[in-house]
Formats: sequence, C-alpha cells, structure tokens
Amino acid sequence: MRLKLVAAFLLAAVILASAIIVARPGASYSRQDRSSLLAGASLRHPAGTDALGRDRLVRVAAALLLSLVGAFLASALTTSIAAGMGTLAAFAPRPIGALCLLGCDVFLALPWMFLLMMVRSALPLSASPLSSAAITFLVLAALGWPACARAVHRGALNLRRADWMLHARASGLRGIQLVRCVTPNLIPLLLPQFLVSIPAFVIAEANLGAIGLGIGEPLPSWGGMLLELDNSAMLFATRWVYFPVALLVLVLLLLEAVAPSDLEA
Amino acid sequence: MTRLSRRLVHCCAAVALAAAFARPCIAQAAPRLPGELVWTIGYDPKTFDPAKVDDQESEMVRYLTAGVLLRFNRLTQKVEPELAQSWSLSEDGKMVTFKLRPNLKFSDGSSLAAQDAAWSIRRVLDPATASPVAEEFLSPAGVRVETPGASTVIVHLPQRVIGIGKVFDEIAIEPANHPSEARVTSGPFVLADYRRSQYVRLRRNPSFSSAAGAGPALAAGVRLDILENPEQETRLFERGEYDLIQNLAPDYFELLKSRDLSSVRDLGPSLNTEQMWFNQFPLAPIPAWEKAWFSNRAFRVAVSQAIHRDDLARIAYLGHATPAYGFISPADAAWHDASLTAPRTDVAAAKAGLARAGFHWHGSHLEDASGHPVRFSILTNEGNAARQKMATLIQQDLAALGIDVTVVALDFPALIERLMHTQDYEACLLGLENVDPDPNAMMNLWLSSSPNHQWDPSEKTPATLWEAEIDREMNLQASTRVDSERKRAVDRVQEIVADEQPFIYLVYPNVLVAISPRLQGVRPAVLAPSLVWNVQDLRLAEAR
Repeated sequence: MRLKLVAAFLLAAVILASAIIVARPGASYSRQDRSSLLAGASLRHPAGTDALGRDRLVRVAAALLLSLVGAFLASALTTSIAAGMGTLAAFAPRPIGALCLLGCDVFLALPWMFLLMMVRSALPLSASPLSSAAITFLVLAALGWPACARAVHRGALNLRRADWMLHARASGLRGIQLVRCVTPNLIPLLLPQFLVSIPAFVIAEANLGAIGLGIGEPLPSWGGMLLELDNSAMLFATRWVYFPVALLVLVLLLLEAVAPSDLEA
Repeated sequence: MTRLSRRLVHCCAAVALAAAFARPCIAQAAPRLPGELVWTIGYDPKTFDPAKVDDQESEMVRYLTAGVLLRFNRLTQKVEPELAQSWSLSEDGKMVTFKLRPNLKFSDGSSLAAQDAAWSIRRVLDPATASPVAEEFLSPAGVRVETPGASTVIVHLPQRVIGIGKVFDEIAIEPANHPSEARVTSGPFVLADYRRSQYVRLRRNPSFSSAAGAGPALAAGVRLDILENPEQETRLFERGEYDLIQNLAPDYFELLKSRDLSSVRDLGPSLNTEQMWFNQFPLAPIPAWEKAWFSNRAFRVAVSQAIHRDDLARIAYLGHATPAYGFISPADAAWHDASLTAPRTDVAAAKAGLARAGFHWHGSHLEDASGHPVRFSILTNEGNAARQKMATLIQQDLAALGIDVTVVALDFPALIERLMHTQDYEACLLGLENVDPDPNAMMNLWLSSSPNHQWDPSEKTPATLWEAEIDREMNLQASTRVDSERKRAVDRVQEIVADEQPFIYLVYPNVLVAISPRLQGVRPAVLAPSLVWNVQDLRLAEAR
C-alpha cells in the first residue's frame, strides 16, 4: 500500500512538473531555435534541443500530458463501453446477450493494427495535429473495449445470480432501477480495469507513433520522440535523445504501481 | 481480464523498448570472394534483361554488365565511344553511324559483330519488348537499323533527337537472337548468381576490354547486397565489409566523418532538386477558394519568399545541400542560369505581396478576401527524414505569414495515388532525381500536356499564357540545331519558372559518398553511378 502511495505521489509530481513546464511563460513545444540544434543541456534548454532546435524538456512534458490525458479519456471510454456491453449481455434476454458476446468476439478477432492504419490514412489531410491525436486515442478506445467487456460480463453474471439480486428482481425491480443497483457493485471490477488500461493506451500510442501512425507534427508524442533512437547518428550527437524513453519507462512503472495488482483485482 | 491487460502492457512495453533499442542483426549477405567489390542496392532488381530496365537497381546491374556502343562519361559529361571505335551524326541529325572496334568478344568467347549490335538496337525498338529506352527515339516505329558491313552499324532516325548519343549508353549489345539476361555480356561483368532479397553476384568478363585499351576489369567480381537499411549499411561499411556507399544520408555522413574524415566526401550539389508545389488541377476535390489561392501567382511567390532555404539546407541536410531557386542545378554548369532573379527570402515583401493580392490578417491569421482562413496541408513521403524536417521548418516559416500548415507524411503508394489519380491534396513536397544534365530530359515535366506536369497534369491546352510559352520554348530547344538557340530557350523557361513559381524550389541536395580507404581507382562524379561509373578501374588494395 505504501508503494502505491509513493507511486501515486511521484506520478502526481511528474504530472504537476510537466504542467508547470508547459504552462510557463515563453514555453513552446513547436518553436524552433534554429541557432541551437541538437544542443546539450543549458539554462535556456535544460534538456537540450532536438534536431529542429525545439526545447526537448517542453516537448517531453507536453507529450507526457497529452499521452496521459488521451489515455485517461480513452480508458474511461473503453471502460464505459465495456460496462454497458457486459451488463447488457448479462441481464438482457439470452439471444441478445449472445449477440453482444459475439460482437465482442468479432472485435477481438479483428486485425486492429491494420484497421488503425486504414483509419489513419483515411483521415482528411487537413486534420490538425490535435485532431489526429484525438482520433488516435478514440480508435484505440473503440478497439480496446471487447476484452474488458467479457470480464464485466462475467462479473455481472455473478451479480445476476446473487441472492440479493434474486430478491430485488422478485420484488419487481426492473430496467433503470436494476442498473442503479448493479453499477455500484461493478465498480470494484471497473476501477482496476480503468487503471490498467491507461498504461496500455500510453504504450499503444507510443508504438503507433514509432511506426509513423501517431500524432502529427509539430505536436509532440512519445512515439515521435522514440523515432530519434532509430538513428545511431543521432545517438552520438547527444545523449539527451534517451531522455524521452527514460521518462516513458518511469511513467509506465508508476502507472503500473498505482494500478491494482492481479491479486487485488 | 486484468491479467490479460497487464500482459498486454508488458508485451507492448517490450515491443516499444525493443523497437527503440534494437539494432539490426549485422551480417553480410554472403562471404566476400577474393578480389570482389561489395556494396549495396536498395531492393531486388526487377529485371536482368537490359532492354527492359525501368528501375534504379536494374539500371545499376545493367551499367555493370552491359557493353554499349557509346558511354556517357559521368565525369566529363561527354559521350565517348565504347564498343564503337568511332561514331558520327549526319548534318541533319537523322543518321547515326557506328564503326565497331576490331576483335570484340562476348563473355562466352563468341565474336561480337555489327549484326549483334543491330539486333540489340532493333530489339529495344520492337514494341513487343516494351523497352522504356525506345521512347527516347521519339518515334521508335520509324527507326531503321542497317549493317552495311561486318563492323558498321547505321541507325536512321525519322526525326532529329536531342542527345541521341546518350540513348546508346542505355542499349546493351547482346548476342543476336540470344538474349541472356546478363549471363552473356559484352560489358565488364557478367551475372553469376542471384539470391532474392540477399545479393546479386557478378563475375569479371574475361573478354572485356575498355575503349582505352585496358584489359578486363581489375576487380574479380562485384557483389551487390540487397539492403535498404542505412543504419546497417553504415555499420558494415565501418567494419570494412562494404567498400563504398553512393547515396549517404547527411546524418550518417556526419557520423562517418566524425570517425574517419578520409572515408567520406561531399561532392557538392547534385542534379537533383527538392521542391514543393500547390495543386492547381481544376477538377481537384479541394475547395474552390483554395484553388484560387494556389493559382494566384502572388500567393505562390509570397510562400516562396517566406521560406528560409538556407535553414532548410543547414538543418534538414546538415549543411550538405545548396539553396535552390531554379530547376537546373549549379552542378549543371552548361545549362544553369546564374543570373536568375528568383524570389529570395523576404518576409516583409511576402506580406506586402499578399496584402496587394487581397489577403488580410485577422489577428495573426491570414485570410483571403472572402474571409477564409489560409490553411493547407503539405504532403510528403514517409521515411525521408530530410523532407519531413523541411516540411516542419516550412510550417514555422509560413506561420510567420499567418498561414496554418499541417504536415502529412504518407507511404509512397498512398502518396502517388493522391498525386497521380485522385488529385486529392493541397500542396506536396517531393524531390526530382535528374540523371541527365540535358534539360531535354525534362520535357515530360514541363510540357503542359504531360501527365507528369505535376501542378496541373495533362492539360488539353495550356491553362495560362506562361505555360503556353514554356511549351513553345521547350519544343524549340528540342527541335533547333543551334546550340545558342537551345540555351536561350532553356534560360527563358528558367526565368518563367522563377517568376511564376509553379514549383517552389527548395534545395539541391549534395552528393554524399563514403569510400573505403582500401578501394583504389575511384574518381567520384556527381552523376550516378557516382563512384562506380569507371567500375573496370576499381580494385581493392590487397587484391593484387
């Protein structure tokens, strides 16, 4: 428990520091300092600059915030869809429930990487970088719910068979009243799911960015910054190119530590 | 479910870290044979039939294996006899006469005679062969080939062809009626082995002798490893397993330079250009007001004036490029017009020009006369770091004018689909690879009726007066016999292009090469194949 608290505190500190770095006057993730390319640490650029002279610290901080906000929202959406589908499958008449589960299976069977590539290439060219980020996380969320929905379905089925639920239904509770009763009882199942999905979406976005399907320039993203590591010429120019990946690993470890362990779940 | 998700996280994290840190497995495609030269090509050659070559890597194999009547010297940029002892062009430019060198032989020891040369030329001209070289004769159906003697070949052309000598640099002379796909050749090497996706191995042709009278090639053979990973190529070069790199990316050039200055050379500007252009196709599926901006000369000139080309060369190419203002590189000294008055970087002048053209600023954002905010996307191809950097630099340059630019990198097939078929794009940033210094080779780019007239392809009639003038001048340079008249016409086209900016030229990338200290006989040239154009003279130091 103490480890969780320490992790949560550190995570909050990293997020707060990132917000301060991005919001401080004069900070810009896109401004190019063309006289200072691939520079090392200095007072002006504490983590140096990238190949276009952009402040690496501001870009990493902005990428962290963007990634966490996107992953948080995507995780919330995934969990909500999963909660709805799982509960519907458990409580609806058997044919509808079977149809819902079939839908989950079909989604699980889809070649989602291929779908992501199709969706990204079908985006209008004029889509702003922020729109591309939003769509990336939306697509991740839309494809991430089925596994979660199956877990919710199992939990909801247990609830349906519980004695108190039999009593409630025998007493005439129907529809929205039943949902009101069931939802609070699903929270212990949904919350870990929600927390565990956040790092999954963070790393999924980083992977997409690293293969060129992520967020558009000049918006910073983990994936875009990881691409720098693919070029040994860059690695010799400045060691600060390792900074984004180091921070990404730290953030993932903190998110993992904050999320409930398997036994707790 | 929780376990599943956690496994997913771990798996994804592992993949991310592997992707981030993994280095390619470094190994050569095959062991080096004694006296063999080794370098890389980017992909499998599509064909070994020299008459059907239509891609860069097949062309490399043809260059190394083909015996040709005339060779275009990449260093002096002059056409020289190769298998021919001499050649002449008639006064009217319609008859080419070749006199073959005596005692020529193919790699299998059989004699090479005029009939073989005539058969090889006819095969290229035959529509059934579908040879891309045939088009260079302009009217291939009307070309006649005669062999009045055992060592004389005469080619009759229905019309004069500018630079006809260079066309014969691309026609391999093969044994008559026995096309062998480079297994029997009259050039310095012969195809010995090919392993798909691994390598192409060539061995020395013992019967070859160059026009200078030297014997067979000095190297025992050549192995071309099929590899498109510059990281791996650079590492293997550093280990001495590759002898040269012909098209080095600027960052790898700097990396090698920092380790061994003597192994790399910047040969200066290439003939290639990097440019951006706006889509002016009338039926393009983009809003009408955007078409109006793009066809407005003042808009194009303002964009050109706002771009800091020096920064593009310095940052995107690490200084290994030259700012470009026209379509002919300074490397092409005979045709480059150094007196061009193209728009130079001047943001204030760009703003003034936009204001005069009816644009205005709403806050810091530029709007057209109808109040539409000026924003567009620049399309470029994925995987070209320099182009993506240039696009991002231009994004900031144009922000100074209040223009909001989105940079979109697409894979090449998707990009070509938009450029050539759907025309669904606003602006594009790409490069053009020029292999021939003669501007006549760019006819397909400048004629308004051409499908490669990128800003408005396949115009039925020229859309503007200046496009009509370009058509006239390009046709004139292709038909006149007077060199000074050709130069005047090409200079005029350069002026029109600089004035109208249908292509906004950005940089001429420099030719960057790496040469192993063990490799001897290299005489680097700007024109491709820049390091191996004299392959018969190349050898490794310890090979003898």
